[in-house]
Amino acid sequence: MRSHRLTTPPPAAGQVLDAQLSLLDRQVLDRTGVPVTTVDDIEVSDVPEGAIPVDAAPPVITAIVTGPVLATRIFGGRLPESRYIRIPWSDVSSVETVVRLGVDGEALDASWTERWVRDHIIRRIPGGRHDPE
Amino acid sequence: MILSDLMGSRVEGSDGERLGTLIDVRFVIDGNPRQLLADARLEGIVVSPRSRASYLGYDRKDMNAPALIAHFLRRRHRGTFFVLWADIERVERGGVRLRSEFTAYDPRWSARVTG
Amino acid sequence: MKRLFAVALGILTAIGGFVDIGDLVTNAVVGSRFGLGLVWVVLVGVIGICLFAQMSGRVAAVSGRATFEIIRERLGPRAAVANLGASFLINLMTLTAEVGGIALALQLATSVEPMLWMPLAAFGVWIVVWRAKFSILENVTGLLGLSLIVFAVALFLLKPDWSGLAAQAVTPQVPAGEESPTYWYYAIALFGAAMTPYEVFFFSSGAIEEKWTVKDLSQSRSNVLVGFPLGGLLSIAIAACAAVVLMPRSIDVTSLSQVVLPVAEAGGKVALAFVIVGILAATFGAALETTLSSGYTLAQFFGWSWGKFRRPVKAARFHLTMIICLLLGLGVLFTGVDPILVTEYSVVFSAVALPLTYLPILIISNDPQYMGRHVNGRLTNGLGLVYLGIILVASLAAIPLMIITGAGA
Repeated sequence: MRSHRLTTPPPAAGQVLDAQLSLLDRQVLDRTGVPVTTVDDIEVSDVPEGAIPVDAAPPVITAIVTGPVLATRIFGGRLPESRYIRIPWSDVSSVETVVRLGVDGEALDASWTERWVRDHIIRRIPGGRHDPE
Repeated sequence: MILSDLMGSRVEGSDGERLGTLIDVRFVIDGNPRQLLADARLEGIVVSPRSRASYLGYDRKDMNAPALIAHFLRRRHRGTFFVLWADIERVERGGVRLRSEFTAYDPRWSARVTG
Repeated sequence: MKRLFAVALGILTAIGGFVDIGDLVTNAVVGSRFGLGLVWVVLVGVIGICLFAQMSGRVAAVSGRATFEIIRERLGPRAAVANLGASFLINLMTLTAEVGGIALALQLATSVEPMLWMPLAAFGVWIVVWRAKFSILENVTGLLGLSLIVFAVALFLLKPDWSGLAAQAVTPQVPAGEESPTYWYYAIALFGAAMTPYEVFFFSSGAIEEKWTVKDLSQSRSNVLVGFPLGGLLSIAIAACAAVVLMPRSIDVTSLSQVVLPVAEAGGKVALAFVIVGILAATFGAALETTLSSGYTLAQFFGWSWGKFRRPVKAARFHLTMIICLLLGLGVLFTGVDPILVTEYSVVFSAVALPLTYLPILIISNDPQYMGRHVNGRLTNGLGLVYLGIILVASLAAIPLMIITGAGA
């Protein structure tokens, strides 16, 4: 039953991340330090339906999710999974005040809008490709 | 499963009594090692009996100033506890149910505790 | 020697860049109606902006994170999107007012209809944002803005009754013909003009643009603690000129001509030339800052790539946002709305949006994960809490007072 003086949980064998505290709404930077997106939501592996067996393995984070999921996170509702834009957890190299990826942003689904605006609008305006002077 | 479905959901004991709201989910990066980081395993959930609002970072042991704000937020969230994955009986759209003999742990933690 | 130059440049730029169309108009209006009776608000506002600019600059230099990233991370997406909506709209209003201000200043100089200048003004702002280096943009407009010192010079030339002015400032009274709620409404407007949120967004993002690190903290501190108060003195000079020349003749401030009248009377055409250059620099600089701020806030909330230190193709959505904002501002100006009116509303709404901006800054500057050992000291925290209280009161009182006084009529 509930104890009245709370004890410290068993020590963790790795970095501790509370989702709301350390992961959600943090900036995601790619391998070169260029921002890609924010952590709008997190996808974990499935939890058993109904009563969970006593020795069931805990779910793990499968992906950082971004895109339209931000709207449902703020206003409520449920997005069909096909609309998730995912960055697989295996692309993440570290989590500190920002989430750093081990890959370049160019390769990711998550940077599609940036690439579209770049290619269809910004590239067409003279001077866009040059460094500021 | 997507985490925003879980955040803010009702947490109840095995007899259905309301224990609080799920305000955070704790992961530990100690699962199977991958190329960059190991798997982030769900260690447990943080439940607040009084408030659904954010703790604004003051649930960490090293966050203590300004004193007035820290004090106000900790009062608002007093009674918050942490429950391990093993003590969760079921997870549904309507809420989370804990096992009858769950242990409530201290939710506060300091940065990186390595074993 | 080089360091001294850098420090001086920083301070001078901070002084010249402090005043924008909001400060110009609000201080002149207040001076013409209340004399120096609201000077204490400028003092309170200057201390406040020094405090929060310092904090957000320190956070940016130490952690590399800009204000809006922090607002979203700490307050969560719901509160942050509310803040974003409010800040973005106010920013847009301010941007519109500044671009309008550029056109009004050009009208003063050339007597050409402002609406003809507006597209040129907007284009000018865009081309600088698109191509110019951040430091050049800041330094040129900041230094030219120092021309506004002519207000202080004019004040001396006008040979005012100094003891009378001092009495107005030290023992504020609501003058005959004005009412108490109107006094407090303008107090909030003046406070909002001094502590506009875009200053903080811009200052912290600018710290990252200029790649400040812990080593630059003392430079940042001197810019803020010396530059901003001197800029505040300029604001007071504007109010004092209005108090000395406009108030005795019951002249209302409805356009920039009334704002510069005291200077023209004191120093003739030469002084007028200086003040026009100063106003042009101040409004152009502020237009650049608000345009950049609109890009910064949106990009930082959504996690887009941003920054003038990147080529436009590397920060595409950031630049697109700014182009759209300038077009929107221009659109609003083309409806014929008076930029002075837009200015007056924008400063009051700025006051309303302050709490959601400043609370996260206060919290994060205490967070050791972001700040290491550079967390706030006890004095900063104490002052920060006091100001949080003042900001909350101003924010809650602004709209009711606006309704009661008919926006200060």
